[in-house]
Amino acid sequence: MDHVKIVVTVKLVPDPNAEKKIDPQTKRLVRGGVETVLNPYDEYALEAGLQLKERGGGEARVTVFSMGPETLKETLRRALAMGADDALVLSDSALEGSDVWATAYAMAQALRKLEFDLLIVGGLTDDSSTGAVPGALAEHLGLPCITNARKIEISDGKLEVERETDAGYQIVRGPLPSLITTALTFGEPRYASLKGIMGAKKKTIATIGLADLSLEMPVGTSGSKTELEGFAPPPARGKGTIVEAADGPAGATAIFDFLRQKKFV
Amino acid sequence: MKHVIAYAEHRQGQTRKITFELASEARRIADALGGKAGIVVLGPGAAQLAEQLKAYPLDVIYVNEDGEVDEFLLDPVVDYLEAAAKTLGPALMLIPNTLSGRDVAGKLMVRLGAGIVADVVDLKVEGDAVVCVSPKLGGAIVTHCALRPNDYGVVTVRPNAFAAASGGPGAQTAPLEKPKRAYAATIERDVEEGAGELALEEAPVVVAGGRGLGGPEPFDALLKPLARALGGAVGASRAAADAGWVPYNLQIGQTGKTVTPSLYIAVGISGAIQHKVGMRSSGTIVAINKDGAAPIAEFSDLLVVGDAFRIVPELTKMIETAKGQVS
Repeated sequence: MDHVKIVVTVKLVPDPNAEKKIDPQTKRLVRGGVETVLNPYDEYALEAGLQLKERGGGEARVTVFSMGPETLKETLRRALAMGADDALVLSDSALEGSDVWATAYAMAQALRKLEFDLLIVGGLTDDSSTGAVPGALAEHLGLPCITNARKIEISDGKLEVERETDAGYQIVRGPLPSLITTALTFGEPRYASLKGIMGAKKKTIATIGLADLSLEMPVGTSGSKTELEGFAPPPARGKGTIVEAADGPAGATAIFDFLRQKKFV
Repeated sequence: MKHVIAYAEHRQGQTRKITFELASEARRIADALGGKAGIVVLGPGAAQLAEQLKAYPLDVIYVNEDGEVDEFLLDPVVDYLEAAAKTLGPALMLIPNTLSGRDVAGKLMVRLGAGIVADVVDLKVEGDAVVCVSPKLGGAIVTHCALRPNDYGVVTVRPNAFAAASGGPGAQTAPLEKPKRAYAATIERDVEEGAGELALEEAPVVVAGGRGLGGPEPFDALLKPLARALGGAVGASRAAADAGWVPYNLQIGQTGKTVTPSLYIAVGISGAIQHKVGMRSSGTIVAINKDGAAPIAEFSDLLVVGDAFRIVPELTKMIETAKGQVS
């Protein structure tokens, strides 16, 4: 499995550990104070790519691909500091307002520019949780789509993947190239070392725009097949009752009475 | 979009509640669009499930028991769904928002040149557009997103969001022709783990444990009996899953599952945002915690401050006694 070329797609999202609030006046997400970070699921995808690269030895390469504004380049340095070799960014103001359809199409057209044996994608995106992008990319690129992998083996140019399912797990065999998404059980993403952080400064982050792609369909707002009509905060949930329980029976009785009142018992 | 076609996910004919929820919702939307409601059932066991689906108000049940559906990953299902869509005509495709449902939906979107809206909890027909209601950003906002007028549309539907209502007239089954394709990704082994346990996403009651439980034993000794007494399932916070006390498939939250039971009982869970986004849409939330100032106090209907190790067994006994008297 030497010479294996891996591409990992990553997305930047608002910090998942920050509480998101909607401004009641503007009905927009309050962005202030919320940092932009690598989508947590994508960090696992990157970890998978880096582990395969290490097993593959010196000739293996990991390229990070992302789509978004040029400002995301600085956050991508973190992926390079973790150990990726280089990065490619698709950035174009005409992509703004792209829905899942348009996003997947533009990403697929850009990924065609890269040569790879394995395309690794995060299972979900933290901000929109659509989960449709991996399947859509695989279909556009004509690749098998093997999702939720917790173990990936490459030998003799073939792939063996252990993937988690709703019911348990499966062993799946597939060819190269294939698209894989990673499960969170794959292994904790590594931290960037000081050496990695220093080294990342010298690594290349190339940028391409829509003019570099051969698009046959429109993207952006006009190329989208869905339209956001509006959004609202979820129904408010008020603070409830707090009961101090002196002992077990007192606490149990407080809950039991509440459940009975709500007709759960 | 004129018709509605649902996908019935199953294992050897055994399915989950979401399939019947989709069948009912397919009828409702098809009536609003003035079209037909169909469902697609594939692979070994399909005929058996199709019989069960005859109790639902559908116009057509597409069936093929093709063994390749269980031998090759994903693609045969996508081929059959595409075939059903082309047979019935312009349609909205209803796919369960499950692990494999999401994969199917992404591929199907490209096949059909369709728009997609994910994790939908409500659907409305407005003129020639279908408007989908769906929570985003971990439930921080609820979006209204329209599928623009188009031949096909795809939505993934959140379990527990729609009622499953049976009622005739029962549909006829119709065969779907086997696609003439070769597939590359083979399923060598398919292993079931924890079979027979209620799926967390579909459980009407969830009893979840966190760091406050201190180890794996209380999940079996405390939470399982309480969940059983209430007819529910056991879940966990990320802290408990990361510590290895429970498998990751029980984890609820940002990086785990999203659940919306009518009753959620959080035991020894502080209620960090990571956990909150996976359960805040539950009907009623009860928490047991040592700390009355824990963040979970802010979104619980009832917080009992006390020792879970003493409270939970007592509570389980009281519920078992009460249920025993009724039945």
